[in-house]
Amino acid sequence: MTFKTLIGATALTLLIGSAARAETATLDLVEPIAEYKIYVTEKLDKLVEDTTAFTAAVKAGDVEKAKSLFAPTRLSYEAIEPIAELFSDLDVSIDSRADDYEKAEADPEFPGFHRIEYGLWDKKSTEGLTPVADKLLADVTELRKRINELTFPPEKVVGGAAVLMEEVAATKISGEEDRYSHTDLWDFRGNFDGAYKIVELVRPLIAEKEAEFLKTVDANFAKVDATLSKYKEGEGYVTYDKLTEEDRKVLATAVNTLAEDLSTLRGKLGLD
Amino acid sequence: MSSSERDPSPVARPSRLMPLAVAGAAVLAVAGGALFYYAAITAKGPEKGVVYKVTVGEKSCEPNDLSVAAGRVTFEIHNASNRPLEWEILDGVMVVEERENIAPGFSSSLTGKLKPGTYEITCGLLSNPRGTLVVTPSASSEAERAKPPVKAFIGPLSEYRVFVATQSSALVKETAKLSEALKANDLATARAAYGAARLPYKRIESVIGRIADLENRIDGLADYLEKREDDPAFVGFHRIEYGLYAKASTEGLAPVGDALLADVTALKDRLKEIKLAPEDMVDGALRQARRLSEEAVLHGENRYSQIEAPEFAANLEGIAKSVTLMTPLVEAASADTAKALKDAIADTQAKIDALGSGSYADVPKDARDALAASFADLAKRMETIKSVLGME
Repeated sequence: MTFKTLIGATALTLLIGSAARAETATLDLVEPIAEYKIYVTEKLDKLVEDTTAFTAAVKAGDVEKAKSLFAPTRLSYEAIEPIAELFSDLDVSIDSRADDYEKAEADPEFPGFHRIEYGLWDKKSTEGLTPVADKLLADVTELRKRINELTFPPEKVVGGAAVLMEEVAATKISGEEDRYSHTDLWDFRGNFDGAYKIVELVRPLIAEKEAEFLKTVDANFAKVDATLSKYKEGEGYVTYDKLTEEDRKVLATAVNTLAEDLSTLRGKLGLD
Repeated sequence: MSSSERDPSPVARPSRLMPLAVAGAAVLAVAGGALFYYAAITAKGPEKGVVYKVTVGEKSCEPNDLSVAAGRVTFEIHNASNRPLEWEILDGVMVVEERENIAPGFSSSLTGKLKPGTYEITCGLLSNPRGTLVVTPSASSEAERAKPPVKAFIGPLSEYRVFVATQSSALVKETAKLSEALKANDLATARAAYGAARLPYKRIESVIGRIADLENRIDGLADYLEKREDDPAFVGFHRIEYGLYAKASTEGLAPVGDALLADVTALKDRLKEIKLAPEDMVDGALRQARRLSEEAVLHGENRYSQIEAPEFAANLEGIAKSVTLMTPLVEAASADTAKALKDAIADTQAKIDALGSGSYADVPKDARDALAASFADLAKRMETIKSVLGME
C-alpha cells in the first residue's frame, strides 16, 4: 500500500464514520410532536382562563388578589415558552422586561405581565393598569388563536427543552425575571415542567440508543426537582430571596448541565 | 439521508469528528497533504456553515444588512451595548432563530439552517431600527425545494394527527348525545344530534376509510345488504337516520345508538394507532374527493333525511386540511400549483354553498354534476402535489 493510498483510506474512513453518526429525522417524531401540540393547547386554555381572572382582579383594583394570581397565571405561559415566544410581537407585548425599553420602567411602552407586576409590587397599586390588563388578556387570547393554527416546527419543539433550561439559567437563577415580585421559583417550575415534558415525549425514540444520556439527564432533572420541592409553599413557592446560596449553586449547576446536555437532543433526533 | 449530507460543501460533519480527525492527523502527521487539509477545515467547524459576526451597539448594529446563501449559517453576536439583549431573525412576526439574554460585553453564537427569503433582524432595544437579512437560494436549498426531506413533513403530519384526534373526540362526544336522545325518545333532539355527529365523521372520513370493519358498521348503507332496510346487519348511522326520518320515530333505536357509540369509541382508539406517511395524507384526501365526485354527490348518502350539503362541506373541510398543511411546501416548489389548489377548494365550496339548505332530492342533476366535476377537478389538482414534491 502506498502512502498516498493509506492517507486516502484513512480520510475515507473518517468520512464514512461521520456519515454513520449523523442521525436522520424519521416519521417517528410525528406522534411526540402531535402530543406536544395537545399539551400546549391545554396550557393555553388554562393561560387564557387564569389571565381572565388575573386581569379582572387588576381592573377591580384588588391589589392583594391580583398579586396572588400573578405567579400561578404565568406558570402555564412559562411551560410553553419555546412555542409562545415564536411570535415576536406577542412575546414583546406579553413578557418583555423593562430592560428592553429606553426609559426602562418609566417607558410608556413597557407592557404586559411585568408592567403589571411592577405596579402591583413596586407601586402597590393598580392605578393606570386597566388598559395594560385589557391588552394583556387580548394578547394571550390572540396567542392561543395563533398557536392553534400553527404547524409546530419539530426542531423548535425538541430544541425547546434546552431553550427552557437556558432561560432558567439566564434569568431565573439570577432572580431577574420577576424582579418586583420575586416569584421566580414559580416560573422556574413552569420552565422545568415544560422541558421535562419534551424529554418525556421523545424518550421512546432514544431510550435504547441513548440510555446513558437519559440517565444523566434524569439525574439532573431529579436534582432540580428535589431542590425546588424544598421551597414549596401551598400551591406554589416561596419568594426567591428565601433560596439559600448553597441551593442556588446546586440548581445553577444542574440547570447549566441540563441546558448543555439537552442542546444535543435535536442532533440526536436528526433535527439539526 | 440527512440534509447536511446533501450539502455541496466539501466537508461532511462536525465537531464530534474533530478529535478523531486530530488524532488521525497526529498519527499520520508525516503524511501531511490531504489529511492535514481535512483536519484543518474540520477544525474550522463545517457544522456551523459560514460564520458571520454582528456587533450590537447602543443604537445600531454592524452590519445591519446581511446577505447569505441558504443552508447552515452561524452568527456570532457581540453585545457592545450596556444592557442584556436578544437578537432575532424574523419572518414577519415569526421568530426564525434567536439568541436571548446576551450579557453586555459578551458574545453568543447562533447556528441555524435558513431557507431562501428576506428576513428582518432585530437589533437590541425594541426602538432601534431593524436590519435585513437576505437569504439567497443555494444548490442544497433548491434540491430540497423539489424534493423536501422527511423532516419537512413531520410538522404537517403531526398537525394532521392532532386534527384527526380532535375530530374523533368530537365524534364520540356528539354520538353520546345522539345515544342519549334516542334513549329519551326525543325525536327532535335526536335528529339535531344526528346531524352534528355526522360532521366530525365526515371531516376525517378519508382516514376512517382505512378501518373497513368499523366503517361498514358505522356508516354502511342499506343498498349493500341483502334485505336492505330490513336486514339485521343494517346498523349504525344510517339505521338511525332511517328510523328518525323514514319512520319519524325513535322506536327500537336505543340499542342501535349504544352500539354506534361503542363503535365510534373503538374507532377513536384505532385511529390513534394509524401512522400516516406524507403520501398517505395526500392520497387519502385525493381518493375521498374522487369518491365524492363518483358516488356521494351524484346519489346522496342520507337517503331518508336528504340532508347532504353540511356533510359535503365537512368532507371538503377535511380534504382542505390535508392540502393546506402541505401548502407551504407546495408553494415553495410551485406557486402556480399552490394557487390552483386554493382556487379548486374555493370553487368546490362555492358549489356546495349553492346547494342551499333544502332537501337534496330537490337539487337538480346539473347542480349535482357541477359539484361532482368540482370534486373531480380538486382530486386531479391534488395529484400534482405529489409530483411537485417528488413523492412519485
